[in-house]
Amino acid sequence: MDTVIQQLFNAAQLGAVYALIALGYSMVYGIIRLINFAHGDIFMLGGFIGLLLTTHLGWLPFYLMMPLAMLLTALAGVAIERVAYRRLRHAQRMSVVITTLGVGIFLENLVRLTVGPETRQLPARLPTAPVLWLQNTLGAFVTWDKLLIILLSLALMAILWLVINKTLVGTAMRAVADNKDVVPLMGVNLNLIIAATFAIGSALAAAGGIFYGQAYSIDPYMGIDLGWKAFIAAVIGGIGSIEGAVLGSFLLAGVEVLTVAYLSSNLKNGIAFGLLILLLLVWPSGIMGKPMLKKV
Amino acid sequence: MGPLPTSRPSRLRFWMVCGLVLALAIPLQLLTDAGLFPAILNPYYLHLLTIIGMNIILVASLNLLNGYLGEFALGHAGFMAVGAYAAATLAAKVLPASGALPPILGTVLTLGLTLAGAMLAAALVGYLVGLVTFKTVGDYLAIITLGFNMIIVNAIQNIDALGGPRGFTGIPRNTTFLAVIVCTVLTVAILRNLVQSSFGRVWVSIRENAIAAELMGVDLNRAKNQAFTIAAAFAGLAGGLWAQYQQFITPRSFDYIKTTEILVMLYLGGMASLSGSILGVVAYTLLMELLRNLLSAFAPQFAEWRMLISPLILIVIMLTRQFGLMGNREWSWLRPERES
Repeated sequence: MDTVIQQLFNAAQLGAVYALIALGYSMVYGIIRLINFAHGDIFMLGGFIGLLLTTHLGWLPFYLMMPLAMLLTALAGVAIERVAYRRLRHAQRMSVVITTLGVGIFLENLVRLTVGPETRQLPARLPTAPVLWLQNTLGAFVTWDKLLIILLSLALMAILWLVINKTLVGTAMRAVADNKDVVPLMGVNLNLIIAATFAIGSALAAAGGIFYGQAYSIDPYMGIDLGWKAFIAAVIGGIGSIEGAVLGSFLLAGVEVLTVAYLSSNLKNGIAFGLLILLLLVWPSGIMGKPMLKKV
Repeated sequence: MGPLPTSRPSRLRFWMVCGLVLALAIPLQLLTDAGLFPAILNPYYLHLLTIIGMNIILVASLNLLNGYLGEFALGHAGFMAVGAYAAATLAAKVLPASGALPPILGTVLTLGLTLAGAMLAAALVGYLVGLVTFKTVGDYLAIITLGFNMIIVNAIQNIDALGGPRGFTGIPRNTTFLAVIVCTVLTVAILRNLVQSSFGRVWVSIRENAIAAELMGVDLNRAKNQAFTIAAAFAGLAGGLWAQYQQFITPRSFDYIKTTEILVMLYLGGMASLSGSILGVVAYTLLMELLRNLLSAFAPQFAEWRMLISPLILIVIMLTRQFGLMGNREWSWLRPERES
């Protein structure tokens, strides 16, 4: 019993990281119908910015370091959109997708050449003591950092929900997602809204990168693996849907953690991708995605 | 469909180019093997040309799906893996006794059988992937093909008879430079004839407007499945050649990083253009080698920085030439007769 609960916490932690990445995929796709394959590498970049800040500005407390890293990563995300994607907004879609692949490879190699190819761990800045209350009531061994990562991620998602549903920027984002051609006629600055989407997505991914570095470890190529997984999670949930991205992330993490715990770690990827294909055959546009209409 | 009006010169020129490549390849192989003129004909150049040949097969076959059919398939390395493992199994476990045959005949026979097996196995998998992707288009097709790539790699990792995650060792070296060039020329010739036949025109019509094509009587599922099967078979051929050239393969070398590399060369060269596939592979491979040699000669401490330059080149090409170097255009010797 206790191990099941522990596994659930593991799944929640992994799912929270997936969700923070998947949200960026889903938001960008929702707004400009672009699969940003460099997003996984933005997540990696966020983790490494967190690493550099903790090692070089060691006096900075975690709760200041994280917003700073998120801000810097957001700037990087906006800069990438400005330099590489904006000019291709009206081009055929494949050129943009290939450009995102190129940006991803560029970021991986940049970090590898400047920081080094080694696998590193972010210096632990969150308490690692077990949560006594959970141990006493449920008999589960769960450390504080795990619980904090899950709670902070959920808090970020709640903030995102508020931004999207309650603020003017969020309203504009939803409007752009609905109809990109009409919204600029209403006096909305399209470039600003798209930049804001990239900024928010990148900041969330950076938070994910820092959490991942605290919980596991980071290396320059982690963005490929984690990025694809988060992308799958976004697709399972229905790409373009915020709630779907979160739901898909926790679902995928649950399946993965349970596969590793009770079957075999070798089967992890096969089962994750098999699930993806099965789900897409049943729900071709994801669990919460809008079905695509074909116009004749 | 009636026969197209033909003008002989274009067809003649195409076969002349093919013949010329083969006529150059044979003495190149023989002279290098004999060790004559080591300064000009060294094995390193032969190795580069071999890699270029295998990559042309991969990129040109992916062009069927991503260029002519207009889909976005992301699983080409998976088909390559199937071909590589099928050929490796045949060469190392089923046909090891071929050494008893006379040398040239034995090599030709082993290569022929293993490559046929590789193409057949990959075609079968491509057919199945084609079946599953019927319901999906666009981004979702991309994801499903990528998923299949991952599942194939993961399945191989879990099969002990294929070496599992450690890789498949002890494959005899049957692939020679000459064999690769022959296969490359055959592939380009077959694909050229295919895309200029009614098959290829059906694929292009689906890309341009699937609904209109369906109204004209095109069976979309069947045409898509044919494209997947054929493209997978050629990816399997490249895999079979690769396995018997490297003599050692691991599942990890066929994951999405390999797929991305194939995509980069494809889009660099240009969509729906066999000339583009050839040019893209040659340009990318030579550029990478040139950068490596230049950097290690003049600035060895920056030798690794070429890894940064290649994605930058890709980005710049996409920003300045959206359709790649040769998108939708062909060299005159590859053009369909009607248009030349």
